[in-house]
Amino acid sequence: MSRTFLNNNHGVTPVLSSLLLTVVAVAAMAIATTATYVITNNLRDTMSERVIIEDVWFNSQTRTIDVYIRNIGKTAIQVKAVYVNYTSQNFTKPFNLEIGQHKWLSIYEVWTPGSLYHLNMVTTRGTHVEEYSTAP
Amino acid sequence: MLKNIARRLKRDKRGVSNVMVVMLSLVLIVIIVDNIVLWDYQMNQLDWERMQEKIEITAAVSEGTVSLFTIQNTGSQTAHLISLWILDNSITNHQRYDLNTFINAGDTFQLARSDIILPGTPYIVKIVTEKGNAAVYTDY
Repeated sequence: MSRTFLNNNHGVTPVLSSLLLTVVAVAAMAIATTATYVITNNLRDTMSERVIIEDVWFNSQTRTIDVYIRNIGKTAIQVKAVYVNYTSQNFTKPFNLEIGQHKWLSIYEVWTPGSLYHLNMVTTRGTHVEEYSTAP
Repeated sequence: MLKNIARRLKRDKRGVSNVMVVMLSLVLIVIIVDNIVLWDYQMNQLDWERMQEKIEITAAVSEGTVSLFTIQNTGSQTAHLISLWILDNSITNHQRYDLNTFINAGDTFQLARSDIILPGTPYIVKIVTEKGNAAVYTDY
């Protein structure tokens, strides 16, 4: 009985083709789902960024512009660039903030008393935090 | 009659792949909707709540060894105060203090802190909420 069954090759091709199709379909779906998740996750992170400037201090002792930044969003952030009056400036690097974290960011820009400054901080995902401040 | 129709449908495999493609596409759409639209809605809600929040500092006085700050919540949301700044107007020092105070909508709260000393020179008091709003009080 079993020998007859083993010797009978009828219907093997449809089974194999169905199996192969299932494997291909599952793999394709897994790739598509992962790609969708990765792409949407990046978008979600970008949408979740919220950063505020608590304080701007024109520090006369260090001659730097110190900015106190707080992450009020739902994702960790990294400040990638700082612009003072639309000019890129050096600052304390790397500057990372976890969710709810807050700390000083020092901008190495020699400021002039009485001048108006436009501060612009940009995160790695492209979020801008801007503020106008006059040096005392 | 019904038996014949059922038998014919069982044998007819046409359109099965279309149904499967639609179902798999639906799964992908659900993932996208879950990740983007719902999240966007949640963040919009957060921004909307932030816009509704409003606090004011009506007074800042020293009484003996204690500094008293009167804060009024004039918004429609409960405010969670997280930091208080004392900015000496001579700008020699910017001091930050941690807060963890909730004020209900429409309420007035008197915050007493013995660790905060108001400077003798003109100063600015700034209070920041968890949602990112700030109230400023200037003493000249």
